Amino acid sequence: MPINTLSDVEFGEDLPTFVPDTSLATGANFAKLVGWDGPRFTDHEAAKKEGLAGAMIPGILSQGYLIAMIHNWAPPAEIITVDTVFRAPVMADDAHTITGVVTDIDEDAGTVEIDLTVSNEKSETRVFGTATVRLPT
Amino acid sequence: MDADIEEIRGKFLNLDFDEKQFHVDPAVTTEYARLCGETADRFLNESHEDFQAPPTYVASLSGSRMLPENFPRFGIGMDAGKGIECLQPVRPGTTITGKTHLHDIYTKTGRSGRMIFVVTRIEFYDEAGNHLANSDSRMVMREKS
Repeated sequence: MPINTLSDVEFGEDLPTFVPDTSLATGANFAKLVGWDGPRFTDHEAAKKEGLAGAMIPGILSQGYLIAMIHNWAPPAEIITVDTVFRAPVMADDAHTITGVVTDIDEDAGTVEIDLTVSNEKSETRVFGTATVRLPT
Repeated sequence: MDADIEEIRGKFLNLDFDEKQFHVDPAVTTEYARLCGETADRFLNESHEDFQAPPTYVASLSGSRMLPENFPRFGIGMDAGKGIECLQPVRPGTTITGKTHLHDIYTKTGRSGRMIFVVTRIEFYDEAGNHLANSDSRMVMREKS
């Protein structure tokens, strides 16, 4: 059930798991859109020639996935802050999932804190972050 | 805190060293939102009454330089993370100004030696001077031994 107000949120609740589109096509289109169209984001073979395991998803696209996940869970959520650590590359064309958990609720401020993690199929954490969002009271 | 880092902090923190204008293209912000997986109309539909760029859009905007002139080169810089603070919506179709300064400099020491973290902050303002957002880029440099 989508979250519409602060009172809908329970401390410690898990957000619905989000499956981002980490295809090479999406990563490459995003990289071109923001002017980062180097081979590391657009071409597996060319990325390998740079010494990488393959093409990667741009870090800021992973950050965008985290926010889309929050909006998917709580459509009216206003993002106040998001802090993201790129721990390891998100490889294009590998399946990933994003999980999130509510770690704090500030009823006076009308805000919720959420810890978010991007993991690959081996359950390795690739990106993690924390977001603070405001919800209608 | 190490004396050399204290000195660098005093010399470089909180001084604007770059200013750049960005046109916020609605075609770009809507595609940005779509590729991230956003489904809300306020990010995707130009005719929505609250049409706005997705919150992390400003993370894609880079200044003309990442570090001030004469900043010491401790080693090769690597991306250690990004942070966004949203103060007001960024409206597509407008021009915004990004002003860049160093927000923090600190160190961590591990088995392989000292690592220097530098947080570069771009503050974004609209044409009326309203502060819209901050975008922080954390860079880590492993000190040359």
